[in-house]
Amino acid sequence: MKTLNEIALKVKSLNKKVRIAIAVAEDANTIGAISRSTNEGFVHPIMIGSKARIMELLKDFSLNDESFDVIDVSNHEEATREAVRMVKNNEADVLMKGLVGTDKFLREVLSKERGLLPPKAIMSYTCALELPKYHKLLLISDTAVLPAPDLNQKIAMINYSVKMAHNLGIAKPKVALISSTEKVSEAMPNTIDYALISKMAERGQIKDCLIDGPLDIFLACDPKAGDIKGVQSPIAGNADILILPNLETANAFYKGLMLFAGGELAGLIQGTVKPVVVMSRSESENSKYYCIALSCLMAEVR
Amino acid sequence: MEIRKLDQMFEVLGSRTKKRLVAAWAIDTHTIMAVAEAVQMGIIEGILVGDETKIKAVCQEHNISSSIFRIINCTSDLVAASLAVDLINRGEGDFLMKGLLSTDRYMRAILNKDKGLMDPGAILSHVTVAEPKNYHKLLIFGDVAIIPLPDLKQKIAITNYLIRTAHFLGIDCPKVGLLAASEQTLPKIPSCADAALIHKMAQRGQIKGGVVEGPLAMDLIVDKESATIKGMQSEVCGDADCILFPNIESGNVFYKTIVKLLKSDLCAVVIGARVPCVLTSRGDSERSKLYSIALAALMA
Repeated sequence: MKTLNEIALKVKSLNKKVRIAIAVAEDANTIGAISRSTNEGFVHPIMIGSKARIMELLKDFSLNDESFDVIDVSNHEEATREAVRMVKNNEADVLMKGLVGTDKFLREVLSKERGLLPPKAIMSYTCALELPKYHKLLLISDTAVLPAPDLNQKIAMINYSVKMAHNLGIAKPKVALISSTEKVSEAMPNTIDYALISKMAERGQIKDCLIDGPLDIFLACDPKAGDIKGVQSPIAGNADILILPNLETANAFYKGLMLFAGGELAGLIQGTVKPVVVMSRSESENSKYYCIALSCLMAEVR
Repeated sequence: MEIRKLDQMFEVLGSRTKKRLVAAWAIDTHTIMAVAEAVQMGIIEGILVGDETKIKAVCQEHNISSSIFRIINCTSDLVAASLAVDLINRGEGDFLMKGLLSTDRYMRAILNKDKGLMDPGAILSHVTVAEPKNYHKLLIFGDVAIIPLPDLKQKIAITNYLIRTAHFLGIDCPKVGLLAASEQTLPKIPSCADAALIHKMAQRGQIKGGVVEGPLAMDLIVDKESATIKGMQSEVCGDADCILFPNIESGNVFYKTIVKLLKSDLCAVVIGARVPCVLTSRGDSERSKLYSIALAALMA
């Protein structure tokens, strides 16, 4: 798949209704985001929250009564807990955050007894970007969850992103480990992690992908850069996945691109037993739709 | 020409301008005989710094004409060491050799901040060149004698010294194996982690002049069959010219195994000072001392 729209097309072609449990579906933003995929027939939302409030909001959206469920739980924490419970018990396939604080929402997702994260699993975030000036989707991590990933967290980010790439039909994704330079230096600890990781991949300790790093963005995404800089890399300016060194870099990278270059994205929480959608309100309508489509793809193609 | 046997060093030296060896406190039979042999072979010039009376007595005892040497007279080992280093710094000698003084005093003269042979920030290390029986080429390795537990920076320096030594031996693009506990990149095992980093640095051109591969276990470095069985593709495997040891114990055991169990010839040089320094011990064979002098002359 080379575009985000292809993800939606693929999901539609599966002829399934993915059950999405929405924790506190009490704002127009959330309901707006879910209605398009619902109307297109590949999502069956289960809206959890104050029924009165939800029904009021639904008046503005032309959703068929049969195409969704509402579960009346007025307390936000309880609504979130119920949504997580449903996903955990296979009563829903995807969890989505509505009008509840990210902190409260994630606390429930991370709960040892009730949550969705397997013991010792690392939670992270991968985002698929469709950019006007890149010839295919570009997956990046971690734009939202891990502030300063250590070696093990970086490896987890890679494994999650590789799995997403596989689901997008990329059999052997090219993973670039991004720094400001391609040189290894003790003064830049991320380059040390990257050198270790690329050697681990070379030794088959990380599978089903091609990894190289440290690389800068040019070497990762511009085929001309390798010759100019005299750097030989299996990535060869054709990366599918960028692992960015920390949250600030990743977040600034994607927001800068969205703002100045344009494009759309689809992002998901990684590491949970089922897909978890957490969207920022400031994202475009299309991006929200693509987030939902991606979550359906990840739920259905396992 | 690529030197594949230690004896071939003599051939190469014979065709070049002779380098001047400066032996510090060269008053014992071992040192004088080794230098005399090299001088008589025509591969070096010898400058002996030490008690002239004692030097002449040893020469007479072994039927060597003392006139084949330049002799710098002095009366103590400490003075001899600093005089020898002075000669080098004044450009009157090309490389250094230890005589009867302790290694400690010899090294202190080299390392002396003001009058020694070190450039600021230089790392002193020890490189061995062996001709192991059952191996198809020379093996260059370190550090078996000076740096007990090299950190990453020191390992990089040693790697560069190994490559440089190979170049002096006419090996244009030496294959360097980075020895570790396992060929897996195990981040918590320093030998594995450092090897992975050094490999990457070489890939990025931060270490030049050779092909570097690691982490590798010993079997993969020296035995092609093991590499094939384990599915290792590197051209270094089974055909290494150089081995970086992660610590002095592993290097020293390897060195002594080659000498004592394999009965193979080897030689060594201290590298990192302004000139190569010979550091033989009395336990070394005559042959090995001669080879060490030749190696240092080649690198001077």
